[in-house]
Amino acid sequence: MNMQRVICGVLALSLAGGTIHVPLAQAALVGTEQVVAATAGAQAADEARQRLAALLARDDVAAALQGHGVDAAQARARVDSLSDAEVQQLAGQIDQLPAGGDVLGIAVFVFLVLLFTDIMGYTDIFPFVKKTAR
Amino acid sequence: MSLLRGGTCRWTAALALTLLLSGCGTLSPALRPGDGLPQQAYAGAPFFAQEIHHCGPSALAGALGASGVTTTPDALAPQVYLPGREGSLQLELVAAARGAGRIAYVLDPALEDALREVAAGRPVLVLQNLGLSWYPRWHYALLVGYDLEARSVTLHSGTERDYVTALATFDRTWARAGRWALVIPAPGTLPATARELPYIAAAAALERSDPVAAEAAYDTALVRWPASLPARLGLGNARYARGDLAGAEAAFSAAARAHPDAAVAHNNHAHVLARLGRRAEAQAAARRAVELAGDSLPEARRTLDEIKGLGARD
Repeated sequence: MNMQRVICGVLALSLAGGTIHVPLAQAALVGTEQVVAATAGAQAADEARQRLAALLARDDVAAALQGHGVDAAQARARVDSLSDAEVQQLAGQIDQLPAGGDVLGIAVFVFLVLLFTDIMGYTDIFPFVKKTAR
Repeated sequence: MSLLRGGTCRWTAALALTLLLSGCGTLSPALRPGDGLPQQAYAGAPFFAQEIHHCGPSALAGALGASGVTTTPDALAPQVYLPGREGSLQLELVAAARGAGRIAYVLDPALEDALREVAAGRPVLVLQNLGLSWYPRWHYALLVGYDLEARSVTLHSGTERDYVTALATFDRTWARAGRWALVIPAPGTLPATARELPYIAAAAALERSDPVAAEAAYDTALVRWPASLPARLGLGNARYARGDLAGAEAAFSAAARAHPDAAVAHNNHAHVLARLGRRAEAQAAARRAVELAGDSLPEARRTLDEIKGLGARD
């Protein structure tokens, strides 16, 4: 009986001590991104669900980057530098979003059309074309 | 075979005709000097001739160089180049700018705003669709100059340094890419066309990876918008993130004083006061937050419960 009380006391003390030294949960501090979203009038989404969605989106985007030839460690680092909102914009969209590259690989008939539109000033493919648009 | 070729030919001719008749999209707005815009401007930026498919890293290296970060396209390519797409995504350029400790601010999609940034001495990273909507040729370039009299713009584009093209042509190719434009302001400076909330949002995205740079950005924001609650809260959060509890307390205290009805300010203040061991003040602030917010800010109740819990264990 006595022994039991001692063990209980030690356990309680260590538990309490442990809790006191653990910093307060980060959840209680309202982050700036949340403040901005609330100020901008965005609907306050369920925070936990939002966080889970962002987490899943990170895996999705990292896998997609790897699928497009980025090595695994680099893909993880690239995903980590995106905000939650950005990663959710990218998820499932990597094949559709514009990827700025350059202007090579144009088939002949397209070349002629684009040469024409370049001359008219609608497009700007060929630097050697003097544009007529003003 | 001849049938096929005939079909292609007719199709091409029809297309060319359609383009001619439709006038191909929007006309550039009639910008005139005197709307606060100088007649011409040129913003200096390092030029990096792009290698194949690497216009993203090249344009980004130039924009970062102009904001005081010494880097090269080769150093940036592993962060932004996507081999499978033979190009770079806009959001990855944004993230890489932040990776260099800089604010990445996306402008409102307006030609005048882009020119204003150039006039303020800041190059603008733009996405263009140099091709057509049905045959997109996505391309990043750095807008470094314009001349309203000559109706022209100057770009660092691809392998061309100071490439001059018609303002109207540039605006068409830019409009076809949603007029997407990015500026990377040097520390301590704001984009000329910055708006409060988008700027704070850009700083908030930097908070996680570089709280020191984010703190500087909030300081800059508070010079322009001294009454900004998000900027004050961001300042406190950034200081908290880099472990400066006293500084965070000062920022949240100032926020609560300037915005006594803002539950978030009291909540964050309470949280930091508790971390500093000032339990009585923390509890008072947490109570105020709960009174103000009711159920609309679940964090407030959680903060109060945690602080009460701390007191109970003493």
